[in-house]
Amino acid sequence: MPGGNTGIIGWFNFLHKGIGFFAYAMHRISGIVIVLYLYLHFFVLSNLLRGGVTFNSLITSFTYGPYDIFIVMDILLSLVIFYHGANGIRLMLNEAGLGLKHHKLLFFVFESVAMILMLLFLYYAWQVLLSGAGV
Amino acid sequence: MPSENYVFDIERNDGKGSIRHDRFQVPKKKISTVLEGLTYISENLDGTLAFRHSCRMEICGSCSMSINGKPRMACSTIADSLNSEVIRVSPLPHYEVIKDLVVDIDPFFEKYKSVKPYIIRKDEEEHNKELLQTPEQFKLYEQYSMCIKCGLCLAACPISGSDENYIGPAALAAALRYNLDSRDQGSNVRLDITGGENGTALCHYAGECSEVCPKDVDPSKAIQILRRSGIAHELKQFFRREKDARR
Repeated sequence: MPGGNTGIIGWFNFLHKGIGFFAYAMHRISGIVIVLYLYLHFFVLSNLLRGGVTFNSLITSFTYGPYDIFIVMDILLSLVIFYHGANGIRLMLNEAGLGLKHHKLLFFVFESVAMILMLLFLYYAWQVLLSGAGV
Repeated sequence: MPSENYVFDIERNDGKGSIRHDRFQVPKKKISTVLEGLTYISENLDGTLAFRHSCRMEICGSCSMSINGKPRMACSTIADSLNSEVIRVSPLPHYEVIKDLVVDIDPFFEKYKSVKPYIIRKDEEEHNKELLQTPEQFKLYEQYSMCIKCGLCLAACPISGSDENYIGPAALAAALRYNLDSRDQGSNVRLDITGGENGTALCHYAGECSEVCPKDVDPSKAIQILRRSGIAHELKQFFRREKDARR
């Protein structure tokens, strides 16, 4: 059916779709974001090869002054990771044949728990940041 | 003040790549379902409009199309339930268009046939009496036997839209239907097919096939059950091969 294919773009067409499709599309988007972050992370870490001074100056430029936006990005990253992880566990259970009758309810339960855990994580991370222990 | 007419916005396609949208005014009091609206247009406004239909009661599975952006059966979609005076009708996505709302359904049936949707017996030539089944045994697969092959599930499945080789929800649900049938002895043959690279492994459980299924067959659930059976089948095969290799 080559002419009738909607392609990968069809994965992200949320209009008139159910909650299962939302979970599916967001799982893909969050997965892509995590992979992109991983490469960015490797790129930043690779600067260690240039020595401690270079690495520290790079990290400082990322996290202070006009570049504070990286804290917002860190929060968004945690949202993506917690979402992807929780939905991933739900999918593993469902694909093993568990909880199939209540897969939509499972989605809400897993994501709610994940969001609570994420808020706890952000709270403690913020405390560490304020105390200066993480710097 | 609400209008006395529905506006049918129909995607017209000549099957050669030329697409246009035609709008038709259809009196609300003349129709109940979307299919009746299309019939009204065909009989009174434009006789060249091509669309499939037959039973008009959600049994034949012919009048599948995209209505207001969602794959639905035209015969069982009540126009009033769409809560819109504009009814947008287009051919089913993920199928080649032949003309207007008529799509080529052949690939769907090819995929359906690929899972061997019939009773397979090892004693094909030997038994000469009816194969009996208890109501409980029938209940096991009843839900999956309700499929009318309308093809809506394949149109709704995002994986089918990006991978034309994917067997698809209807065929996989049919495979489970026969695997659960107490009279069938061909589940291993089917599990080899559904466990292949174009089978259950491609499903990512978006669940849209079940959302649009007019008969509540729940193909997405069937695929997950089939996937579990497939893993067990594959493990059994693996250990058998290992055992044979040691001999």
